[in-house]
Formats: sequence, structure tokens, C-alpha cells
Amino acid sequence: MPRNRTVRLAVLGSSVQRTAASGYPSSRSSALKRRTIVGGLVLLSLVLITVSFRSSALDGAQGTVAGILRPFEVAADRVSRPFRDAVGWTHGLIDAKNQNKKLRLKVELLRQQVIQDESAVQENVQLKAHLRYHGPPSVRDFDRVGAAILTNQQSPIDQSVTIAAGTSSGVAAGSVVVDPSTGGLVGTVDRARSSVARVTLLTDGQSAVTATDLTYPSAIGVVTRGGGGSDVLVLDSVSKSAYVGIGDTVITAGRLGNGALQSKFPRGIPIGSVSSASNNDVNPFKNIQVEPLVDFSSLQSVIVLVPKP
Amino acid sequence: MDGVKAALVLFVVALLQLAVLTEYSAFRTASIVLVALLALALLRGSVFGAVAGFGIGLLLDTATLGTLGVSSLLLTVGGFWIGRYGETTARDRFHSPFLSVAVVTVLFAFGQLALQFLLGEPAPAGLVVRGLPLGLVLNLLLTLPAYTLIRRLFPPLELGDRVREVRLLG
Repeated sequence: MPRNRTVRLAVLGSSVQRTAASGYPSSRSSALKRRTIVGGLVLLSLVLITVSFRSSALDGAQGTVAGILRPFEVAADRVSRPFRDAVGWTHGLIDAKNQNKKLRLKVELLRQQVIQDESAVQENVQLKAHLRYHGPPSVRDFDRVGAAILTNQQSPIDQSVTIAAGTSSGVAAGSVVVDPSTGGLVGTVDRARSSVARVTLLTDGQSAVTATDLTYPSAIGVVTRGGGGSDVLVLDSVSKSAYVGIGDTVITAGRLGNGALQSKFPRGIPIGSVSSASNNDVNPFKNIQVEPLVDFSSLQSVIVLVPKP
Repeated sequence: MDGVKAALVLFVVALLQLAVLTEYSAFRTASIVLVALLALALLRGSVFGAVAGFGIGLLLDTATLGTLGVSSLLLTVGGFWIGRYGETTARDRFHSPFLSVAVVTVLFAFGQLALQFLLGEPAPAGLVVRGLPLGLVLNLLLTLPAYTLIRRLFPPLELGDRVREVRLLG
């Protein structure tokens, strides 16, 4: 059978231009066209970054599109919920036995604590009324707006979530956000649009809140994100002379430092418990680590504190 | 037609990323959007990859109320680069999707970090580096199913078109 071949000379190192594969639509277009398109997109991205970062001109459009995307996100969440519940149920079943004993003991301790606290609260209310004392605002001075978590896009760079409540519900930038189950501090609203808002979590590098030890209120500092990869927080700027006990509850101070200036965080929101406290010669303040009360990785819904009209 | 199909695929993938994967803390470092985009770019070329990257980046930034353009910029460059790789040396090579995902996952993380730094926002390099190995492994695990599915939806272009790449003289 004759072979259908022709003699061809392979020219190595010649200046002959190889044509690009015509199968790819982008290869078909000229290199100039390709570079123009990509350059244009990069330029457009840079313009978007500049405008979005420096002004609020795009906020309306972003809010509108985010509102349009919301039903799709809710639908995807509902579709995936049975699977998530199944995973949670299995996980919970494994942990349940271990937790049961510990929780029973804790409930007993807390029951005794509640009785003491209730009498202290009553006494406090009476004393305040007698003295006409006006302290920093507390959680009771705010309305509570419940909101589901839409996206929980937490990464080492960006510790934030988006929630299904916005300016139409009274939510504004700076509103304080707490966890509905534990009452613990979650973070603050960073950006608010009509129906959605972005919450910067307490574990974000930009978050900071003045806090105090509930048991030893003289220990006032600032809670910020810890240096490690975990969700552990740091209670910084606490004087070395102040006493802080392991296991003490850390709450929002309701004021800035030791001065009279009020914080945007109402007093008394629990943040977590002290997991370690030490002094060293390098740090002029105490080294205090705080285990947060809130499990930031499994947030399902939040409560936004909105000032009462 | 490919464009509409790609837009739909990327939209569904973005929803999967935002509403489902991020619910599980273990998967939070993974990015199925990145994997899907790179698969599309490998199969359809650089301009397709760049446009798809820009679109999906804009969608992500909008949905998360982030700074518009940050994800778009990184994903445009990533989609374009891997698209060029797909047009030139990566064809029919089994390892090309894995290599692309591995390289772009690392570069995307550092690119994001650099942009954060340039914008004057916190850029915790240590946290990013510590989270990178897990993200890399998860993305590589997602590569095979995602690439297989996307290859089925966007079959590679005909072989006849490819052999014209080298012209024999004589």
C-alpha cells in the first residue's frame, strides 16, 4: 500500500511566523485586539476600585444588584439546608454525649448565679432611681432587628458577612451586631444598603472595642483580633496593675478608655471569657487572650441593635 | 452561545460558593469560582477567560458588598493568563488544570494581599500564608470534578483546528 506522504523539510530556527490555532475564538482575533480587551478590562477594574474606594457613587448600584442577587442566595441556601442540617445533626450527635455532663454542671452553677444576679439587678435599679444616675447606654436602649446571614465569606483577609437587613430596617453603618443565641458581640455594620448590609466581624483586623472585665471593672482595655490564625481575641492596653482572672467574662465597656466619652457599643454586651493572662517585660500592658463567646464560623443569623426613635 | 452558557455556569458556581461552601468553615478557604473560571479559560482561551473573570469578580464583589473591582482585577488577569496557557502549551495535557489551579490559587492569595495593602486595609500576610496550604489542597481536590464537568459542557475545540498551529515547510 503506497504511503501518501510528501517530502517536507523541517526548517529549524527559521523566521517563519507560526499561526495561532484558529479553534480558539480569542486566538482568531489579533494579538492587538486581545491585548486591547484585556487592557480595557484591567483598566475598568482599576477605575471601579478607585471609584468604589474613594466615593460612594457606586453604592446605590451595588446595593440594587445585591438586592437582586438576594433571592438567588436565599434559594441556594434553602436547597442546601437539608444537607447542612444532616451534617450538623451528625456532628451534634457525636458531641452531644460529651457535652451533656458538662452542661448539666454548668446549668446548676448558672441557676445559682442567676438568682444572685436578679437580686443585684433589682437593687441596682432601685439605687439608680434614688440617685437619678444616668450611665452609658445599655442594650435595652436599642431596638433589635433580626437578620439572616446571606453570605459568610470569611477569609484571612476579609472577616465579614452580609446580612439580609439594610437601611430600610433602620440599619446604618456603625450599628452594633450581636448573636441571637448567646447575646455575644459579633461586630459592627460596615456598609448598609437598602436591603442588605455588610458586617465586619470582631475577628477582623479593623475591629476594636473598648472592653472590661465583668468581675474586675477596673481592668479596661481594647479587644482586637489576636495574632494567630484562630478566632482568639486579645484584650490589649490593660494596665499591669489591674487584676484579670482566668475564666472572667469580658464585656463591652460602653465608654472609651477611662474617660467619659461614650463608645458606640452599649455597655454590657458579652464578648468572651479570659483564656490566659500574663505579664512580661517587653509589653507595657498585660497579655490577655479572650476566647470569644460567639462561634463566628457557624453564624446563621444576627441581631442588629438600632437606636430607638 | 458559549458566552451565555458560561455566564449561567459561573453564576451558579458563584451562588454555590457564596451560599453553600462558605457555610462550612473547612471549605471556606476553597474557591470553586476560581477553579471553574480556570477550567473555562483553559478550554476557551484568553479573551474568554479574561471577560469571564471580570464578570464573576464583579458579581462576587457586589454580592459581598466588597470594594468593587478588586476580585475583577485579579480574576481578569488570572483568566487571561491561564487562557493563554491553554491556547499555547497546555493542550491535552492531563496536568494542566491542576498546575493552573495550583499556581493561580497562590498568586490570587498574594495578589489579594497586595491589593489590600495598597488600599491601606489590613493585610495579614501570616494568616494568608497559614491558610494557603489548605486552600490549595481543597482547590486541587475540586479541580478534577469541576474540570470534568466544565469540559463536558464546553467540549474542546476540534483537533483539525489545532494541527494548523505548526506549518511544515518544504
